[in-house]
Amino acid sequence: MYNIVKKMIQHGTVTVEYPKKNTKSTYITGIPAFDYLKCTRCGKCISACPTGAVVLVDKDGEKEKVPAVNTDECIFCKFCEEACSNQAVRLSNEFELAQKSRDLLRAAPLYIRDEEINGTDYEIIGKKLNDKVGKKFGRSLNIREVDAGSCNGCDYEIQALNGPYNDIERFGIHFVASPRHADLLLVTGCVSRNMEEALVKTYNATPSPKLVVAVGACACSGGLFKDSYAGRNGIDTILPVDVYIPGCPPRPQALIYGILKAIGRL
Amino acid sequence: MVSEAIFDTIKKLLSTHVQESRLINDNEIYFCISSSTVKEDCINVYNNIECVLVNLFANDTTPIDNKLTIYYTFAIRSSNTLFTLYSKLESDGSAKVDSIALEVPAASLYEREIHDMYGINFEGCPDSRELVHHGNFPLNVYPLRRDFKANTRLPFQQRELEFSTITGKGVFEVPVGPVHAGIIEPGHFRFSVAGEPIINLEAKLYYVHRGLEKLCENQHYMKVLLFSERISGDETFTNSLAFCHAIEKINGITYIPERAAYSRVIFAELERICGHLGDISGLCVDTAYIFPSGQFGMMRRWIQLLNEQLTGSRFLRNTNKPGGLRRDFIRNNDKIILECISKLEKEFKDTVSIIKNSGMFIDRVEHTGILENSIAVDLNAVGPAGRASGVKTDVRKDFPYAAYSKLKFNVPEHNNCDVNCRMNVKIEEVMESINIIRQSLGKMPEEGPVSVDIGDLKPYSYGFGLTESPRGENIHFVMTGENNTIFRYKVRTPSFCNWPALCHAVNTNTLTDFPLINKSFNLSYAGNDL
Repeated sequence: MYNIVKKMIQHGTVTVEYPKKNTKSTYITGIPAFDYLKCTRCGKCISACPTGAVVLVDKDGEKEKVPAVNTDECIFCKFCEEACSNQAVRLSNEFELAQKSRDLLRAAPLYIRDEEINGTDYEIIGKKLNDKVGKKFGRSLNIREVDAGSCNGCDYEIQALNGPYNDIERFGIHFVASPRHADLLLVTGCVSRNMEEALVKTYNATPSPKLVVAVGACACSGGLFKDSYAGRNGIDTILPVDVYIPGCPPRPQALIYGILKAIGRL
Repeated sequence: MVSEAIFDTIKKLLSTHVQESRLINDNEIYFCISSSTVKEDCINVYNNIECVLVNLFANDTTPIDNKLTIYYTFAIRSSNTLFTLYSKLESDGSAKVDSIALEVPAASLYEREIHDMYGINFEGCPDSRELVHHGNFPLNVYPLRRDFKANTRLPFQQRELEFSTITGKGVFEVPVGPVHAGIIEPGHFRFSVAGEPIINLEAKLYYVHRGLEKLCENQHYMKVLLFSERISGDETFTNSLAFCHAIEKINGITYIPERAAYSRVIFAELERICGHLGDISGLCVDTAYIFPSGQFGMMRRWIQLLNEQLTGSRFLRNTNKPGGLRRDFIRNNDKIILECISKLEKEFKDTVSIIKNSGMFIDRVEHTGILENSIAVDLNAVGPAGRASGVKTDVRKDFPYAAYSKLKFNVPEHNNCDVNCRMNVKIEEVMESINIIRQSLGKMPEEGPVSVDIGDLKPYSYGFGLTESPRGENIHFVMTGENNTIFRYKVRTPSFCNWPALCHAVNTNTLTDFPLINKSFNLSYAGNDL
């Protein structure tokens, strides 16, 4: 007991001050940023990208099409950075990327195949609910995490939210054991074929009003596992999604940012 | 050469059955045998030579010879040799071969997997239920065959899942999952319970099957490298290292710059420390001992922060590539690493002495979840789980890679087979890892490159990459295709071997001890399901 008290005094409070204070340091890996003055439009970054996240788009004030990145598909592999000989692409330190719709994450317009339009009317209902939800869950929130086919990287980062450093309980946010106790579903993975039914059942078991947050590149767009016979291209082909948190995996602060955004505190 | 002696011994043993034989990549032996005698030969070799079945997989070689090929890979761990018996089968629907699962228990799951993915029938197989497909997959569709497109959308079917049931007075079943109470991956457990003690557990996995092996087919090897990093999130570095080893072997790269070799050792050990700290923290949570759990969680974060400072990724992603490392990550950072591991060493020792002096904690972990040595040997249990049950195997010693042959370290072993032993193995390994990192930093040359150019891939060559991940022995088989693509990528992670062992370890324990036993193994679902 003496040793335990000693340790407690030795370390004091270790919780980081995010989001009250910004965490900005040089080694954080964030979204690729383009320097269009250096860019020669050679297209090497586009062919180097393994997930097809780098695309050509019309940018205001530029005569020809320029490369830009679809954040929901980016897996932060740095291939574009290495392919560019002029150093026009650099991975920035920007990790606060969560957005309330997938279009906001994309440089190119979203193209969904016919077979995958699932619950577009949900999307509208979800948006209406969202405003009410912010008021209702303003003070406390219960989260149920569902892994629907991730590589467990995202899950370890979600686990880290409960650790002493990020301590998400200080926001009144708790992880619960059953979807019936939950207000928010935190879904990771590309929705594998074998998890589809379980995910829908979990969604139906969660009482309304409810929020769905997609975590990681796989959940946002399928990521590297896009177009597989054993999976789908992201959570929004199955469920209406309220907030998308891109990253592979997103760091805990990015998750905090996304969750707070979902309940309207940011 | 030891491998050559083994080559001759096996050749004599199989005598007339061998159609073709070769010794490549220093320590890999391949024998081609006829499909009619494959069972007899496997059992013959298995009984007469001190070896274990470490991999059993199929490969659709239709573009080369219009056949299906099935490979039985055995490891002779005492003398650093892998030998593979392979056999060609007809590629039409009639492909069949005799099952060896009754004689070699470790083969059972591999055979079921091959049946689901290739449609090869194993005759006399003791368990022929579906493994990967879960009853929603159409019958007679085999995803790893060449004529199946990776992006096919298949209709959903409804077939009931079959479980092994135990009936009797007072026996009842407890289904758990696939969505669990904690923040973990999905899997379904079916417990048969008589009162409190568990009498049978069946784990139904493959909920996170993403079709990784199929997606890797015909892809450029640099893209497959990204897939290998995403097999299992917390084993990113060791999985990609195994893939890189296989590619380097195939291309005949025998020399990696020393700076790269030592850097790889440092990263692999950082990953091991990180994994083990998470496991021990989890054990404390499952015994409701929150204070040390927070401590280990805090130390884990120190290591993750160090990883991020070095490479920009908390999971060591984007560090490895065939031929070396992407950049020189260690340069000018020696001091940060040394400071971090010294701080960790002191804190870790203090916290471990706190948990070891807590009677209530030790009471929970001792004599819980015993995995008997005989079962561990039969099922080829690997890693800390195997070493806590007296299976003395470690790839770092048996098949040295990177710079491990130049470093001095011990492999902790225990023989009581319970949760406490597995925890002690992990605790001692963390200390060994700290020691290894110190040695590597000392021995690393000051200057030099960190990668070599590997050139273009040799088409249709193959090789194995082996590494020791935090969970145990990792075996990756890579066969190259044309134009720098990968023809077949077969991944066998330690989780695949250890899941059946876990199901045996929980027997006779109470249901409430299951989370604790599960955590002491801490197996990856994604690494098993692929």
